[in-house]
Amino acid sequence: MRRTAALLSIHGGAGGRSSIPSALADVLVCPLSKRPLRYCEASGDLVSDGVGVAFPVVDGIPCLVPKDGKLLDKHQDKPGDPSTGDSSG
Amino acid sequence: MASSAAAARRLHFLRRHVYLLPKPHFSYSSAADVLDDGGGGGRVEIFDRDLKRRHRDRAAWAMRESDGFVDAVAENLLDRLEDCRKAFPSALCLGGSAGAVRRLLRGRGGIEKLIMMDMSTDMVRKWRESENAAAGGPETHFVVGDEEFLPIKESSQDLIVNCLGLHWTNDLPGAMIQCKLALKPDGLFLAAILGGETLKELRIACTIAQMEREGGISPRMSPLAQVRDAGNLLTRAGFTLPGVDVDQYTVKYNNGAKKGYSLSDRSYLPVNVWVIYMTGWREHPSQQKAKRRGSATISFGDIQKQFGPSEN
Repeated sequence: MRRTAALLSIHGGAGGRSSIPSALADVLVCPLSKRPLRYCEASGDLVSDGVGVAFPVVDGIPCLVPKDGKLLDKHQDKPGDPSTGDSSG
Repeated sequence: MASSAAAARRLHFLRRHVYLLPKPHFSYSSAADVLDDGGGGGRVEIFDRDLKRRHRDRAAWAMRESDGFVDAVAENLLDRLEDCRKAFPSALCLGGSAGAVRRLLRGRGGIEKLIMMDMSTDMVRKWRESENAAAGGPETHFVVGDEEFLPIKESSQDLIVNCLGLHWTNDLPGAMIQCKLALKPDGLFLAAILGGETLKELRIACTIAQMEREGGISPRMSPLAQVRDAGNLLTRAGFTLPGVDVDQYTVKYNNGAKKGYSLSDRSYLPVNVWVIYMTGWREHPSQQKAKRRGSATISFGDIQKQFGPSEN
């Protein structure tokens, strides 16, 4: 979570249009796995690595309805955090 | 080895949740429908959440600036915050009339950070626009999300207010459990749902009309929770100190267009609405609670021997 917040605040500091305030980023998690989300600066999406789904941020509002999510194909190549992956129950 | 295990786990996870994601992304969606064995067994989708979302989009532009009924419910719900000595710095506001809740908050509950969530992007945009117009109030953030899949971190909120939203969820206990988990210990959950004999007149009218025309009846309206269900739901979701109460409202609709009918002395149609208010807390050691069953160390027999009238 700390990692997510740090990444998000960096982006927020740049003043991007679709950035999310860190106060909000701190409490948002993936709606499916309840795991922290990673902000992808290239696509401007919030990515849930465990599930391999990207949620869009439209006009500064994160859309975390499961049906809005896009499945990522190259999730396997992502340097995921193995410790969070293993603790899934 | 580890990566293949992770892949297998991910596949299993996706199969469990495959029905949540847009179909075209899945090549094995038909197989996954058959594989609905984990967690999703016996799911009954009463409400079409996609349709509900479109309803909310429509409501975003159709709704008035303020609505008497919705304001009354929101006011009643927020009034409970004044009964608490505790302050709630972080709050999450959900449900059909979250906009009214925010408007009527007026500093109650000591809220510093407010997150407002709805399924409809249009609704959330509308809230944000009205937020920009009205300066003051707590720092507010906006999220598009589904109550059935709450995207809020565990133990992060002091208060969750769900005003007139939960009666549209398919999995009401699940939605409430997610709210409970998102609350910090000693956090407060406030909810208002429609229930009881809401729209009784319309139910009766639909039933009679359909009996007459089709010789049988089918459900025409949302199933609603009863008052006793609300208490059970709170307990089942694991809230402590549960409280439930009911208010009845009569909303009067203008019946001007129906003047041709002989039945109308009245110029309005009365509609009964029951609102069930639910209050619950997340467990905390400081709260009073009953001892666990079987935790007594002294038997009643011994008490009888010690204090009861001696038989000899």
